[in-house]
Amino acid sequence: MNGAMTAMTTSQLLLSTWRWDPLAILACLAAIGVYVGATRAKLSPRAPYLTAAAAVVVLAVASPVGALSDGYLFSAHMLQHLLLVLIVPPLVLLGLGQERAEGAGRGERWIAPAWLVGVSAMWLWHAPTLCNAASQSAVVHRVQEASLLAMGTVYWWPILAPRAESRIAPAKGMVYLFTGCVACTILGVVVTFSPVEVCSVYLHPTDTLGVLPLLRGSWGLTADRDQQLGGLLMWVPACLVYAGGILGLLARWYKADGQRTDGPLVAQERA
Amino acid sequence: MSTTASPELEPAGPETPALPAHAPEAHAPTTAAPGALYSWFTTVDHKKIGTLYLLTAVLFFAVGGIEALVIRLQLARPNNTLVSPDTFNQLFTMHGTTMIFLVVMPALSGFANYLVPLMIGARDMAFPRLNAFAYWTLPLGGFLLHFSVLAGGAPSAGWFSYAPLSETAYSSTMGTDYWILAVIVLGIGSVSTALNIIATVITLRAPGLTMQRLPLFVWMTFVTQILVILALPVLNASLAMLLIDRQLDAHFFTGGTGGGNAVLWEHFFWAFGHPEVYILALPAFGMISEIIPVYSRKPIFGYEFVAASTVAIAILSFGVWAHHMFAVGMGHTTDLFFAAGSMLIAVPTGVKVFNWVATMWGGSLRFTTAMMFAVAFLLEFVVGGLSGITFAAAPIDWQVTDTYYLVAHFHYVAVGGVAFAMLGATYHWFPKMTGRLLSEKLGRANFWLMIVGFNMTFFVQHFLGIMGMPRRVFTYPDLPGWGALNLVSTVGAFIMGFALLLFLVNIAVSLRSGQVAGDNPWDAWTLEWATTSPPPEHNFFEVPPVHGRRPLYDLAHAPAAPPPAEGPLVPAAAEGGAPAAEHTGRLDKLDKFRVMMWGFIASETSFFGVLILSFGFYNARLEGGPTAASSLDVGKTAAFTVCLFASSLTLHQAEKHLEHGKGAASVRWLLVTVILGLVFLVGQAHEYIGLFDSGISVATNLFTTSFFTLTGFHGLHVTIGLVALTIILGLASQRRQPGSPGSKGDTGEHPQLVPLKTIGLYWHFVDVVWLVVFTIVYLRAK
Repeated sequence: MNGAMTAMTTSQLLLSTWRWDPLAILACLAAIGVYVGATRAKLSPRAPYLTAAAAVVVLAVASPVGALSDGYLFSAHMLQHLLLVLIVPPLVLLGLGQERAEGAGRGERWIAPAWLVGVSAMWLWHAPTLCNAASQSAVVHRVQEASLLAMGTVYWWPILAPRAESRIAPAKGMVYLFTGCVACTILGVVVTFSPVEVCSVYLHPTDTLGVLPLLRGSWGLTADRDQQLGGLLMWVPACLVYAGGILGLLARWYKADGQRTDGPLVAQERA
Repeated sequence: MSTTASPELEPAGPETPALPAHAPEAHAPTTAAPGALYSWFTTVDHKKIGTLYLLTAVLFFAVGGIEALVIRLQLARPNNTLVSPDTFNQLFTMHGTTMIFLVVMPALSGFANYLVPLMIGARDMAFPRLNAFAYWTLPLGGFLLHFSVLAGGAPSAGWFSYAPLSETAYSSTMGTDYWILAVIVLGIGSVSTALNIIATVITLRAPGLTMQRLPLFVWMTFVTQILVILALPVLNASLAMLLIDRQLDAHFFTGGTGGGNAVLWEHFFWAFGHPEVYILALPAFGMISEIIPVYSRKPIFGYEFVAASTVAIAILSFGVWAHHMFAVGMGHTTDLFFAAGSMLIAVPTGVKVFNWVATMWGGSLRFTTAMMFAVAFLLEFVVGGLSGITFAAAPIDWQVTDTYYLVAHFHYVAVGGVAFAMLGATYHWFPKMTGRLLSEKLGRANFWLMIVGFNMTFFVQHFLGIMGMPRRVFTYPDLPGWGALNLVSTVGAFIMGFALLLFLVNIAVSLRSGQVAGDNPWDAWTLEWATTSPPPEHNFFEVPPVHGRRPLYDLAHAPAAPPPAEGPLVPAAAEGGAPAAEHTGRLDKLDKFRVMMWGFIASETSFFGVLILSFGFYNARLEGGPTAASSLDVGKTAAFTVCLFASSLTLHQAEKHLEHGKGAASVRWLLVTVILGLVFLVGQAHEYIGLFDSGISVATNLFTTSFFTLTGFHGLHVTIGLVALTIILGLASQRRQPGSPGSKGDTGEHPQLVPLKTIGLYWHFVDVVWLVVFTIVYLRAK
């Protein structure tokens, strides 16, 4: 670290560490492409969701979060992961527009593989060797980001696919999401309370940006706390995403009951 | 079938003439006959079993209540010497353990057992004998717990038995061991009931009763049982580990040179403990959700919101347990997340309260005793919830945790909430269970005394806590105000005790001479009211058609012309186009076994999950002594591992052959499976003996402790599986004459096919567990 440089402040960090990232640019172009393609394919894509998806990708890779996840903060890296696996794919799929009809079809066959893909996306990248590799090598990091997006999409496909027949029944979907939530939570618990480092690169980052004093000093994020924070992000906020998905499915499930469930008469009628 | 006219709610006297009922024998309460007492011991009828649960819960309620009264007597004055400190510790430990595990959980099981099959129009639970088994774990557990008094002293480490206090060094009597054994047994009973209820609700619903139309009591009980199968095994695994510490000198939870970690006990306990409080609360919410609409003469407001918020609570309940550990020192980051999560989990409960109030709004309210308890529930539970929310703010928690403020909080939610709901539920459903109404006069006396007594006992404790009085202290100094407030609390406790006596008197009196109830005294709408009071053994003479959430209401208001939306009233089973896999009541035997087994697998996943996580935790850093690399022979284990995995393949072959009717071939494959399983067990025994011979035992170091625990429990599961498979082998290999009992029935299906497939599922699961264990313990050995 250059001793002559003064330590960065938080506002400087937030303003100056944005960067051009090929994936971010790709995401913005892809959002447009997906919109056009989906319209051509007779789907009814929804621009706000696709825009949000692109924005989240930008937030994940091109913002200070992206900068910090490059070897500085394990928790920033976790935040990036969570955004790419749990937020962007559902937004993209929602953006493709959902066919109204209910009906389970082809989707049922792919439940197990899709679930395994989604869960391994999280677990595999936490194996210490892989975790370190992704933090040290830019190429591996790109592969990681792309794989998270892809595997996340595979995971959410049986829940949010555009065509009704590719989706699974809401009741099965709730079990699917709940078990995924449990897998994510256990990983979060393990990371939070692990007595050993999951990703040892983050213990001693190379401080090219000059932010280390800020992180370790004013933010108080020691390596231990950083790992705890990463685990907690995987535990509590991630749980909320799954819970949201499950509640959405529950709403769909109640609608699917078909007939008015208050019997032949209107609900307001008194007994 | 129409509902009978609602009787006067203020009966002129206890003896009113009997109302006409369907069957002549149904309008008088059952009188004791010779042999009737014996039938209570052998019954598999869910109604009798439910009643047994309730009666046993009342018995233990008296025991726990007396313990509470002695506690309050000791605390009535400062520097009191009524009981010794050690006796006091035993008292509050027994009081807490009794109330939670021997009173509230069994009572809720009792209500669930009695009401769930009736509310879904079923004849009984899916597994009646499992039901009976689960009940009998209750007297066994209660006996084990109380036997400790004779065996050196009751447990005295508190109802959650924190390590290292609960370890041998600090709890040298057998009390804690009996506590552990009792709670393990009770946990097994709870999980059994949970599996039964889940299978029942999924597979035995009446035609037309889709899952989306379930009465909210059934829905909430159903969600609760899912919590039970996931949370109770966590407790059982932790209890096993504590027992191993105490009896085999291990160091799971003893720190220092042992290398164990006492905080891990807290994590494991509260990972069970927090879902447990929702296991206690959700069925109570379900009762309230049934009671309030009936006495407001309105359907529940926002059914889907009440149902969905239940799901939200269940999911979130696994993410907030560490709010019981704010004072442990997990670090501000962790504290912050759990504070946020805990505040969030209050939202779904708030949604429910809103819905209940909205149900009452504009309704035509009838304040029967049941309704009064329900309204009191709303107020008291909200008070308890508010004090709970204050705990979510970690800094507040640091001040008031483990003070009487906490004691006040949990008694408001557990007594003011859950117990009030159960009292209301008794007033509401007692007529159904016994054919007689409870006296409203006695009911009102019971209610008001309870309100006065309960609030007197516990409201002042909020102040005591804020003033600094810790919990679990056998006495306190004469600080200003402490003596007076404690005295008020004690007087309140005795008033509460008297109120509960009145409740019991009400039951006794009304059983004899209460007003006869008829089928539907409250003009309620769910299926349990569509049969006699009490119901016949088979529950229904005729299940009404179900087209909505209030079947009896729809039936009473069926329009003359068929409603356009549905066409003529036909059972839903005949309608096409229902969404995927809705079992609306088909008694599909294969499905109920499969459902039960998957539920069991989920519970076992929880159990092994804890053991695997502990193994990982304790072996993350190398310590001195034997390690996996130095003491395990991976090659040999790999060999008998292959045998175990092969046994899954051979079992699959056995299933396939039996499906195609090739019994003899199937039996051969099954024999090979059993042999392969035995090879695995022998291999494991050989490995264990080798380790013992080289001086390595359970207590050598944390690696060996966690190794033997994990592989030992796995071996136990393999053994159980082998016993089951051998039984099937025996049954399947007996030659049967066609038409004799046990031979192929009308379906042409081999009678052992369903059991084989069900146990096969279990066996495959045991193999998957071994795959994980082998990988973590042997392949990734350091």
